Amino acid sequence: MTLKEILPGQTCIVKQVYSNNLRKRIIDMGLITGTKVLVKKTAPLGDPMEIMVKGYSLTLRKAEARTIIVDRIEE
Amino acid sequence: MLNIALIGNPNSGKTTLYNNLTGSNQSVGNWPGVTVEKKSGKLISKNIEATIVDLPGIYSLSTISLEEEVASNYIVNKEMDLIINIVDASNLERNLFLTFQLLDSNIPMLIALNAMDVVEKKLDSIDYKKLSKIIGVPIIPISASKKIGMDNLIQAIEKIDIQKVHKTTVYNDEIESTIGKFNKIVNDRFVAIRFFEDGLKALDGIHLDGIQTKDLLELYFTEKKKHILDFDMVLPNARYEKILEVVNQTYLKNAVQKESSTDKIDKILTSKTFGIPIFALIMFTVFFLAFGPIGTFITNQFVWLINQFFAWIIGGVNSLGMADYIGSLITNGIFGGLAAVVGFLPQLAILFFALAILEDSGYMARAAFIMDRALSRFGLSGKSFIPMLIGFGCSVPAIANTRTLDNDDDRKITTMIVPFVSCGAKAPIYGVFAGALFGNGSFIVVFSMYVLGLLVAILSAVFFKKVLFRGSTANYIMELPEYRTPTIKNTLRHTWERSKEFLVKAGTILLAAFIVIWFFSYFGFVDGTFRLLTESEIGNSLLGSIGRFILPVFKPIGFTDWQATVSILTGIVAKESVVGTLGILYGVNGDVIQNGTLLYASIQAHFTTAQAYAFMTFALLSTPCIAAVSAMKRELKSWKWLIFIISYEMIVAYVVALGIYQLAQIELGTLLSIFFSMIVVIFVILMIRKLIKNKGSACGSCEKCAKTGSCGLPEFVKYKEKTEGRDSDE
Repeated sequence: MTLKEILPGQTCIVKQVYSNNLRKRIIDMGLITGTKVLVKKTAPLGDPMEIMVKGYSLTLRKAEARTIIVDRIEE
Repeated sequence: MLNIALIGNPNSGKTTLYNNLTGSNQSVGNWPGVTVEKKSGKLISKNIEATIVDLPGIYSLSTISLEEEVASNYIVNKEMDLIINIVDASNLERNLFLTFQLLDSNIPMLIALNAMDVVEKKLDSIDYKKLSKIIGVPIIPISASKKIGMDNLIQAIEKIDIQKVHKTTVYNDEIESTIGKFNKIVNDRFVAIRFFEDGLKALDGIHLDGIQTKDLLELYFTEKKKHILDFDMVLPNARYEKILEVVNQTYLKNAVQKESSTDKIDKILTSKTFGIPIFALIMFTVFFLAFGPIGTFITNQFVWLINQFFAWIIGGVNSLGMADYIGSLITNGIFGGLAAVVGFLPQLAILFFALAILEDSGYMARAAFIMDRALSRFGLSGKSFIPMLIGFGCSVPAIANTRTLDNDDDRKITTMIVPFVSCGAKAPIYGVFAGALFGNGSFIVVFSMYVLGLLVAILSAVFFKKVLFRGSTANYIMELPEYRTPTIKNTLRHTWERSKEFLVKAGTILLAAFIVIWFFSYFGFVDGTFRLLTESEIGNSLLGSIGRFILPVFKPIGFTDWQATVSILTGIVAKESVVGTLGILYGVNGDVIQNGTLLYASIQAHFTTAQAYAFMTFALLSTPCIAAVSAMKRELKSWKWLIFIISYEMIVAYVVALGIYQLAQIELGTLLSIFFSMIVVIFVILMIRKLIKNKGSACGSCEKCAKTGSCGLPEFVKYKEKTEGRDSDE
């Protein structure tokens, strides 16, 4: 599944990043294979989404989120 | 002379530290991307001479925007003797990523571990001595905002031996073997590492002959196959592994993890239910403060004061008995023009003050987060919202605010569409025309002007995106900083800095423009002699002649007399002048700006409703005042773009006014046809929006993707193969 499908409050592990125009930025911001990501919320209008990664809050659009393949995990 | 560069993540406190180290007063804010150009100053030190360069914040050496490139190139070209890497201790893991990249460069380095007070507040602790030992560079714990540790840092800078090379990070064998092979060709470990991560982009400015390049590329593809992870992810992954190891050894987390206050605040401020209402309320408050009764009252007092002051000077000038034209130049040209611009100052200062509070507190980033969805439909990013909103007040600060956008194309587009948003100075024009001709429906007419301005702005954004900046997507990936309480000192500094910038601009570029415009307004032929004119003779001025000359061009859009064209021309100085000039030209006695009703009779005599609506439309959309034009020049940084946008605005204003006027001629009820034309515009927007949606430009990840509806994995795999193929083409 992709990061886009993870609901607020759920946690997941990054498996693969396919995004192209922001790919390097996404990787350098810490979203690399094996990273744990907590989805905090989506913006009031439904996009972008806010995630917790490596201890900080990052917001990205769902267009990018659906290019990040993840595995959902139970906490 | 030692050349020191301040490098760190966005919003890690670089500018605050820079101010502390150099004693300068640069604007700082709690929002990533405050510093957009590099600045330099002298280090406060009795023992050594050193310049400090403050660079835009970067997350890594691989960049996505122009400002980031400024910083990145500085490092890649090794233009400094020493790096002060400012690391936000409260966000250690991500900040250390850049630190490790910097370590690879082998430039002498010193770490300023900032925000130690935040870490202590959370009851966490960092063993910075151990951290320093592992990394191999000196670390000085500081709190830039509280000015703690500054002396230690300055001493450390004075003592550091820039000849000494710090130890290099050694990665695992697999990675080292790849780096080693690249290194054999490029002969520079740093370049080899950059090539590993960034591919060909890293070779810019590196001289390699044909055989070397070929060997390097062949090597790239053989090495690529050896790693399980995506090739560009291998190094970042290894780096983050190392960082985690380091952080685990040195960062002691408080066992009891409380919900942070930022989370608590965000639960309300960005919540589904309250997020938008609160956002609207905050924006309304900012707007109300600056352009509502309070702001207007302060402005009026200020303008009165300025006028008194200028009158005093003018009195003095007149008593000197200089030639008439010199007196006129000083009083009408210079002071008249300056008064028009400086009059904005109080409202601008209030606006800057309110925005500074929003920036410093960290809310601005949330505003962008909340608005992004609405603006992404038009190819813009959430950060464009603030400039557009300010544009309703005044285009000048709005255009200056586009600097907070992190993509250069977005910044250009936003700068170019802001003037279409109806600013406060255009309001008197609608007031007078709508009041004179539309009676009870006048407020609908005025409101329709605001809507029209916004529609044209949004349509232009879509147009620019589709035609001029094809292929560029408004990127949105943003960190939400923790909330901070804004300090009075900081907020005032912010306000002062920006107001000063505005004044300086008013004093230089604008002055020259005012003198030219004054010449055209106050000189002309009367009875065959060329001479200085009085206030009431403006109809005979050169401007008046131009107005008469170009009148035929304006006939199709409903201008029937030269008074209308001349008043539009005077709008170049300030849009408020339009109404004032009409008053003079129609020979109205009294101050028409203070009391618009004085003009009603003349307007009723000279304009039909359709003509009036076309006139208002043209005044709304045509080239903004000279202050806004010079602000645009500043942000667009190019004459070519400036000329383009001014022509574009003229053409759009003409075409829209023409459409409205001609349509009004055909239909019976004028108001009804205006209504219809609005529907047409809305319909076009909907169509364009649909077009964008079908093309799936929001994603930009794989071609033809949106047509299949949801995004499936096979598409991605195909896409990936494609990019790999493209790499080999290069």
